[in-house]
Amino acid sequence: MVKLSPNRKRLFAFILLGWVLLLISDRVGELRQYQGSFVAMYALAIASIILLTGYSGQLSLGHSALMAVGAYAGALSINNLKLHPAIALVVAALIAGVFGLFLGFVVARLSGPYLAGTTLALAVSLPTIANQFPILGGEQGIVFDIGTPPQRFGEEFSQYKWFFWISSLAALISIWMLSNLLASRYGRVFRALRDNSVAAQLSGINVGRLKAVAFAISSGIAGLAGGLLVMLISGVSPSAFPLSLSFALLTGAVVTGVYNLKGVMLGGLVLVAIPEIAESVVSRIGGSEGFTTTLPGFMVSALLILAVLFTPNGPGQLLHHHKKKH
Amino acid sequence: MLEFVTAILTSLSTGAIYALMSTALVLVWRSTRVINFAQAGQAVLTTYIGYEITTRSGSYWIGFIAAVLSGALIGAGIDRFFMRPIFKRVKSGPIVMIAPVVATLGLLGIIQAIVGFIWGLNYLTIAAPVSTEGIKVFGSVIAFSPFNLMILISVTLSMILLTILFQKTNLGLALRASAYSPEIAKLSGIKVEAIRTIGWALAGAAGGLAGMLYVPGSYLYPNSMEVLLVFGFIAAVIGGLDSLFGAVAGAMILGFAINFSTTYISYKLVFPTAFVILILVLLIKPGGVFSSKKGRKD
Repeated sequence: MVKLSPNRKRLFAFILLGWVLLLISDRVGELRQYQGSFVAMYALAIASIILLTGYSGQLSLGHSALMAVGAYAGALSINNLKLHPAIALVVAALIAGVFGLFLGFVVARLSGPYLAGTTLALAVSLPTIANQFPILGGEQGIVFDIGTPPQRFGEEFSQYKWFFWISSLAALISIWMLSNLLASRYGRVFRALRDNSVAAQLSGINVGRLKAVAFAISSGIAGLAGGLLVMLISGVSPSAFPLSLSFALLTGAVVTGVYNLKGVMLGGLVLVAIPEIAESVVSRIGGSEGFTTTLPGFMVSALLILAVLFTPNGPGQLLHHHKKKH
Repeated sequence: MLEFVTAILTSLSTGAIYALMSTALVLVWRSTRVINFAQAGQAVLTTYIGYEITTRSGSYWIGFIAAVLSGALIGAGIDRFFMRPIFKRVKSGPIVMIAPVVATLGLLGIIQAIVGFIWGLNYLTIAAPVSTEGIKVFGSVIAFSPFNLMILISVTLSMILLTILFQKTNLGLALRASAYSPEIAKLSGIKVEAIRTIGWALAGAAGGLAGMLYVPGSYLYPNSMEVLLVFGFIAAVIGGLDSLFGAVAGAMILGFAINFSTTYISYKLVFPTAFVILILVLLIKPGGVFSSKKGRKD
C-alpha cells in the first residue's frame, strides 16, 4: 500500500472528477452540456468569492465588475491582438488579477466597509463606463469567439460539448490550484486574517499586504470566470454583468457555506437552477412582464437571506451541529 | 463667467441630493456599524410610494410628505423586524462579520424585485412642483432651475432640523451617546436598541426625501437609486463615515468635483472623477478628510 501525501490525493481526486465529467459529457444532450458549462463557470466564480470572503474575511459586492474586467481583456486580446483563445483566457485572468492587485492595495488593505462599497461602485458604474469608451463597444459590446472545436475530435463533436470541456477544464485546474494554495502556508495565513487580524499581525503577518494579495488572486479567478461567461454567450457587453450577478455569486457562496471550497459545484448548480425554476413557475401560472423578469432576482435574494438566517455557516453546519462549540 | 456661476449652482444642488443619501448611510453606520446597502431599495420603494400618491392625489406635496413618512416607517420596520433578528440569530462563526451586510444586500434585491413586480420596469417620472426650466440671468438662460433652488432649500432646511435634533434635544443626545459608546449609553439607562431604530427611521426619511428630489430631474425605475447609493457612499467615505457634518461636506466636495470636471473637461467624467476622489481619499486619509481624533474603533 502506497501512502499518498494530501497534495497527491487532491490531484487524484481532481483527475477522477475530470474523468467523470468527461464521461458525463458523452452521455448527455446539448442543453445539459451547455448548462453544465455554466455550472462550471459559476463554480469558479463562487470559488473566487469564497477565497475572498471565507478565507480572508473581506466582502466584495461587485465581483461582477471584476469578471467584466477579465471578459473585456479576453475579448480585446482575441479581437485586436489576435491571440489564441486559450491564451486570451489566461490574459483575462492576469489582467483582472493585476487590476485586483491595484485595487487591493488601495482598498482591500483597509478593514471596514470600504472594499464592499468600492466594488459596488465599480459594478454600478460599469455600463456607463462601457458606453463612454468606444473600444469597449457600448451597449452592444464586442464579440468573444472561442472558435469551433478542433477537427481531430470528429464531426460529431458539438460546440456545446466544446464549451463544456473548456469550462470544466478551466474550473478544475483553477480550483485545484486554489485548494493547493489554501492547504499551504498561505491558506493558514488567510484563515488567521479572517479569524483574528490583530493576532495575525502580532505573529508577524503583514495583514494589509496579504489582504491585498487575497483580493488580487480572487480577482484573477473572477476574471477567468468572466472570460468563460462571455465565451458561453459569445459576446461581452455591460448587460452580461449586472449587479444582480454579484448578488447571485454571493448567494452561491453563502448557500454552499462561505468557507467551504468543496461545495462550489452545488452553488453553481443552484445558480443555474434558479432561472430554470423561475421560468417553469412563470409558464405554469403566467404573469406580467415585471413578474417574469423580477422573479429570478427575488428568488436569489430570498435564498441569500434565508441562508444567512438559517445556515449562516453553510449547509454542513446542519449536519455537524452538535460538534460546534463557540 | 456665467458658466462658472452655473457650475457652482448645479454643484450645490447635486451635492445636496448626495448629502441626503450620505447622511442616511452615516446615520445607520453610526448606530449599527453596517453600511446599509438596502438604502437604495428603501429610497426607491418610498419614491414609488410618493409617485403613486402624487399621481392619485395630483399634488406633488402630498406625495412628498407620504414619501418621507413612509421612508421613516420602512426604515424603522427594517431595523426592528429584519436587522434585529439577524443580529440575534447569527452569533458565531466567521460569517458574523459579513452577515448583516449580506442581509442588507439580500433585502435590496428583494425590494427591487417587489417594486419591479408592482410597478413594472418602465421608466417613470414625477412632475416637479416648480419649473425645471433654467433661470434667465441677464438675458441668457443658465442650467439652474427653480426646482434646483427648491432642492437646495429643502435639503438645507432638513439639515438644520437634523442639527437641532442632534444638538438640542434629549433624543439627539441619546442618539449621539449610543453611537459613541453603546455599552456606556446602555448603562446610563438609554434604550440603545430603540434609539437605533429611530436612527434607521431618520435615515429612511432622508432616503425618501432624496428620492423625491432626485426623480423629477431623472427617471424612476427599480434600479434608479443605485447610482445615488454609490455617490452617497463615496461622500460618506470622504467625510469619514462617522460624522454627519463630514457626510454633508463630503457630498458637497463630490458634487463640486463631478460638476466642474464634467463642465470644463468632458461630460464622460462623472464616474471616473468619483473614483479618483474615492481612491485618493482611501490612499491618503482612509479615516476621512476631516478625521483628527480617534473615536470608536471597530
